[in-house]
Amino acid sequence: MDNATIEVSGLRKRFGPTVALDGMSFTVQPGRVTGFVGPNGAGKSTTMRVVLGLDTADAGTALVGGRPYRQLRTPLRQVGALLDANAVQPSRSARNHLLWLAHSQGIGRARVDTVLGQVGLAAVARRRAGGFSLGMRQRLGIAAALLGDPPILLLDEPVNGLDPEGVIWIRGLLRSLAAEGRAVLVSSHLMSELQDTADQLVVVGRGRVIADANVTELLAAAARGRVVVRTRAPETARTELLRAGATATVTGPDTLDVAGPSAERVVALLTAGRVPVAEVSAYQASLEEAYLTLTRDAVEFQAGQVAR
Amino acid sequence: MRYALHAEYTKLRTLPSTGWLLLAVVALTVGVGAAAAATVSCHATGCGYDAPKLALSGVLAGQAVVALLAITAVTGEHSTGTAAVTLAAVPRRGRVLVAKAIVLAGLTGAAGTVGVLCSVLVARLLLPGNGFTAANGYPPLSLADGATLRAAAGSVLYLILIALFGLGVGTAARDAAASVGVTGGVVYVLQIAPFLVTDPDWQQALWRLSPTNAGLTIQATRNLSAYPLGPWAGLGVLAAWTTVALAIGAVLSHRRDL
Repeated sequence: MDNATIEVSGLRKRFGPTVALDGMSFTVQPGRVTGFVGPNGAGKSTTMRVVLGLDTADAGTALVGGRPYRQLRTPLRQVGALLDANAVQPSRSARNHLLWLAHSQGIGRARVDTVLGQVGLAAVARRRAGGFSLGMRQRLGIAAALLGDPPILLLDEPVNGLDPEGVIWIRGLLRSLAAEGRAVLVSSHLMSELQDTADQLVVVGRGRVIADANVTELLAAAARGRVVVRTRAPETARTELLRAGATATVTGPDTLDVAGPSAERVVALLTAGRVPVAEVSAYQASLEEAYLTLTRDAVEFQAGQVAR
Repeated sequence: MRYALHAEYTKLRTLPSTGWLLLAVVALTVGVGAAAAATVSCHATGCGYDAPKLALSGVLAGQAVVALLAITAVTGEHSTGTAAVTLAAVPRRGRVLVAKAIVLAGLTGAAGTVGVLCSVLVARLLLPGNGFTAANGYPPLSLADGATLRAAAGSVLYLILIALFGLGVGTAARDAAASVGVTGGVVYVLQIAPFLVTDPDWQQALWRLSPTNAGLTIQATRNLSAYPLGPWAGLGVLAAWTTVALAIGAVLSHRRDL
């Protein structure tokens, strides 16, 4: 596959009276992790199912590597997907679940054992998948997605059910997959899950894209150049900074947020005013803040949340 | 197609239930056939029994398990959600259906052959003791006899067609209970339907419509003119049912989401 991209363009789909997709359009680029976020029911899973050719859209196109998924001859070698971790036959062993998938793509047994090791399931490979915890099933689902060593990955809520160690593991895995040049689309309804993982965010609500933005730029925008000051005398510091025309808000017993002057200027001002300063640092916005900044104006989106 | 076939074979092979169901097909076919051969007796020339048909009467029981195997092979994927995994791996739905059909036909054919051969063998051993002797017009059962061979081979084909019928129904209905209901209705209820009406024309029509009554004429070796349909025409009725079920399954799986 020459171009490892997912291109979703103008997807529309109704389930009876419910509009599931309402002109969903975005592109997933190779070499980065794209977070696909929005409340439950925003159309994330439906979009993924349409991309994989499981559901048919009423209008619009979804291309993987420039081609419709249904035209791919050995699709798992091009697109690895995890839609539903519980989609395993309970009486079949983890290894056999991957084995039939491997056979469907002309992949050998050795690759099955490789991915089982990669996701940390080698020790339980011969156990029935029905006895697996949700976290183990997520790992099995991720193993299935990795089976064909695909340049494109599509993972629906992969963090769900993982223990803290698993969460750290999957973050590292997603980062390394993107670093290898793969296109990685990861959906989540929790922004915090994508913190430190996603490079790009596609925020959806009510079946369409509300925002599609670079995470670094997004965080910078949400931080709005603010500076965090740690001091024993926050009130004195605040008075000093307000006098210099800055906006300052005391946020804790020994911290205040400053907007306006640069970090150097803040240090200079406080030193001149003889205010003891423990630390001055750039404000780190959380992804949640960035998300709220993005969606603040999307009234329709908020109505969508309420409607759920 | 080769990959899809390999996948479907691995999928069925790695389900513990498959082996048990295939074993049950053999056991029921042979067991019921043996029970029939052991209990029926012939005391005089021209007692009228059709010995090969009698020997193969276990097929009527074995077919239930065959249908169940086929139905669960497809509906089990829908109940567990693995149908989505299958279609993500093999996006061409027709290809998945054909691969499943070939694998089921192969497994059913293998189990059916074992069951049928054992049934014939057991009957060959049991029947002479119950009066089915050459003196009474019953030479030992042998596949060297053309009609007996047709009955035996046809019984295997019959079981394969029943499996494919179950596959078609399961693909269309996606739900195990609904599929078992439909298949059971067509196979067993239509079978007794002719005996519930009194009008002879209706009896004949219903008899010809029943895939079981018509299909099992393939086992008939005596008195063929007494049957409303010939052996192969009868099996053709079942083949028609199977074709329609598979066609409906194929069309619906193309049209529907997932």
